[in-house]
Amino acid sequence: MDTLVLELKNVLKHREQGGATFELHVQQLQLNKGQFVAVVGESGCGKSTLLDILALVSKPTSYEQFNYYNTEVINIKQLWEQQQEKTLAKLRRLHFGYVLQTGGLLPFLTVLQNLQLASEINGFQDSEIKKLAERLDISNILNKKPQYLSGGQRQRVAILRAISHRPQIILADEPTAAVDETRALHIIEDFHTIAKENGTIIVMVTHNHNLVAPFADVTYGFNVSDVSDTLTKSSLLKL
Amino acid sequence: MKLPIITRLAILDLWHEWILTLCMVLAIAAILTPLLVLLGLKYGTIQTMHERLMEDPVNREIRPTRTLNLTSKWFKQLEQRDDIEFIIPTVLRGSSVIRVSTPKKRQLVDLVPTHQGDPLILNNDGIIPNKNECVLSSAAAEELGVKTGDIIDTEVTRTRNKHKESVQVKLKIVAILNSQADSLAKIYAPFEFVNDVEAYKEGRAVFERNWPGGKVLPPLSYDGLWILLAQDLTSIDEINLTVGTGLTDIKRSYPDEFKQQFFIASPDNYAIYKLSATGNPITVSSINAVKNKLRGKAAIILPFVNNVAITTYNQLKVIGLSLSKSQTDILGLPALPWGKFDINSNFASQSQALLPELDKKFPTLTLTSEVLGGKIKFPVNNQGLSFNKNIIVPIELIGILRTGQDSKIIFDQAQKTFLSAKTNYHGFRLYAKSIDDVPNLYSHFISQDIDVITQIQEIEKLKVLNKGLTRIFWLIAIIGIAGGMAALIASLYASVERKKRDVGVLRLMGLSCLQVFRFPIYQAIIIVILSNMFAITGYIVISSTINIMFIDRVGEKICTLPYTYFLLIFVITIIISIFSSLLAAWKTTAIEPAEAIREE
Repeated sequence: MDTLVLELKNVLKHREQGGATFELHVQQLQLNKGQFVAVVGESGCGKSTLLDILALVSKPTSYEQFNYYNTEVINIKQLWEQQQEKTLAKLRRLHFGYVLQTGGLLPFLTVLQNLQLASEINGFQDSEIKKLAERLDISNILNKKPQYLSGGQRQRVAILRAISHRPQIILADEPTAAVDETRALHIIEDFHTIAKENGTIIVMVTHNHNLVAPFADVTYGFNVSDVSDTLTKSSLLKL
Repeated sequence: MKLPIITRLAILDLWHEWILTLCMVLAIAAILTPLLVLLGLKYGTIQTMHERLMEDPVNREIRPTRTLNLTSKWFKQLEQRDDIEFIIPTVLRGSSVIRVSTPKKRQLVDLVPTHQGDPLILNNDGIIPNKNECVLSSAAAEELGVKTGDIIDTEVTRTRNKHKESVQVKLKIVAILNSQADSLAKIYAPFEFVNDVEAYKEGRAVFERNWPGGKVLPPLSYDGLWILLAQDLTSIDEINLTVGTGLTDIKRSYPDEFKQQFFIASPDNYAIYKLSATGNPITVSSINAVKNKLRGKAAIILPFVNNVAITTYNQLKVIGLSLSKSQTDILGLPALPWGKFDINSNFASQSQALLPELDKKFPTLTLTSEVLGGKIKFPVNNQGLSFNKNIIVPIELIGILRTGQDSKIIFDQAQKTFLSAKTNYHGFRLYAKSIDDVPNLYSHFISQDIDVITQIQEIEKLKVLNKGLTRIFWLIAIIGIAGGMAALIASLYASVERKKRDVGVLRLMGLSCLQVFRFPIYQAIIIVILSNMFAITGYIVISSTINIMFIDRVGEKICTLPYTYFLLIFVITIIISIFSSLLAAWKTTAIEPAEAIREE
């Protein structure tokens, strides 16, 4: 049974950079519990912009609806309009996990400290971190600093950190960009397992369609059109 | 207990970049250490100089520049002041020289009076001499070739009636002062001895020591005069009585008032005047001046005093009256055995009394009076019956006792006479409680028209030096602090700039703006705490080295700081570090969580 968690309707983000204008249009996007969502596209198509919006860090230019369904309906649109930064930060903290391209680990913390940070910011101790680390085969590097890890190890730590505080949604921005094909496959498998086991939504942005195709429940792409020299329009499509 | 998350992150980040952190810590310590040493040197030297100024009573000494005429009362008043540690009258220079004979030498030495609490003696290894003892300055001891415990023969000489006279006294040396006290040869002896020496030199007898010489009788003094006249004075005459007579006020009075004073009635139709002087008592010369001005007017002049308390048995009142036979006739009184007012009266004529009827059986009677420095007792002879309920004595006796209010008088039992104890002093030696009291005392004496010598210039010099050094210190400190701040600002700002992404990640993970705002502030505080620790260690090493280097020459610590200074510097540097980190802190708040996501 599919439970709706995040819903966007007619969301538009307008960005200007160096005289060029970029517009991303999301007609409809629904994220259900336990879904593995792949967002595929070349660079410059608006993947990061979409991620910013989903991560609640970028305010859309206009929208019809933007709801987050938890035990109650949370109207993100209203929060943005009322500039409730604190509530947004709290939502981010509690319900969102992030895996960035190169992991987004803090260089001055050890792997273990990085892993504990998310739980700690949310004010609870996670006793399962070590168990999870074992499962992801990173328990032997817990006391190392990120700079001494390989790309694959770093991404696994990042994934573990993203799920350590049991978020509803994990946003992963090209988590496989810095690793070889075999490791990329492992990472995606990990994500898939987590999504299914915990009912977590995984939104994975990637340019490698083939890699995610076997796992993705839903795949989205972009329709990019250059309207003029200075205006680029892009809209999200279900593939 | 776990540290708050931001504090921990700040520490871990500094630890991660420990080389940069250490460099920054050392850079700030390199500014703080010399500042601490400089401050220590300033504090130490000023402190040392201040202590020396404080310790050496010479710097607290106040001496008059010229010969003065000061009463015991004046000294009593000054002794009440709490900014004076010690004051003693001094004698005239010419009256204070005695000849000291030792087996080796005969020499004239200056005699200086001292008594209990004299800091010049106590702070220079001396003890206060008692009777027949003395203390020598190191120069005197050296010149005379004597040591503590020796007994020296001293000779006080004078020329009286063209004859050379002298008396001898043996004094035991109880201490020799260190050379800091006085560079000249001086003998410090008890005040009473020096006073006697002065009296002898001035030709007076000192009965206690059996030194021969003249007697000094106390003069008579009064608070004013009553005048009884058969006819009124013209207003010009009235005013005339206050010109050149030492009396300042004249007032027409009434029989009642007169009776209150003397307990006798004034003759009918007589005009009564009361003449008085404000402040100072009047002397015999005032009485003579008034007498002269009233010549031919058959005036009865009655000197009076206000507050001379005489006590005897039965709480009887003692009234002073001296009247000639014709005057008592006018007043309707029986003649007085001692007759009219006599300025040259002696104690034999003064010590008479008329007693109330019931007391006629006493041949002599002892009276007691309060005078300066205590009570005085003397006998009077019963001369018969008083004409009222009071004891009547010659007004001359009362005049002596009035003088005794302001200057010391004694009653000499052996000679049966009042004697003037030494009344006036020609100078003083004074020590202020602290050097900071000197300027105040200086202006006090200047306002009294007493020119004094003080070490005020030395004290001022120290203050100026302190001010100058403080300015130099602040100049250097400001430059140093500015440099340190600049370095700290640059370092923290660059650090935030470098860690934009990390800060973004922290924001993305849910840390608030205010939390990341504290990140560089905490780092600045940590850096400065470490810098302080390095700087204090450095200061301890350098200051100990300086102090060891100079201890032989200076004797005291010339580089030293009280603990409170370290605490103060610690707090100040932390406040400065917080200010320095504000730019970086503000910069962190501008970092959006989105910046972590968008790396390119």
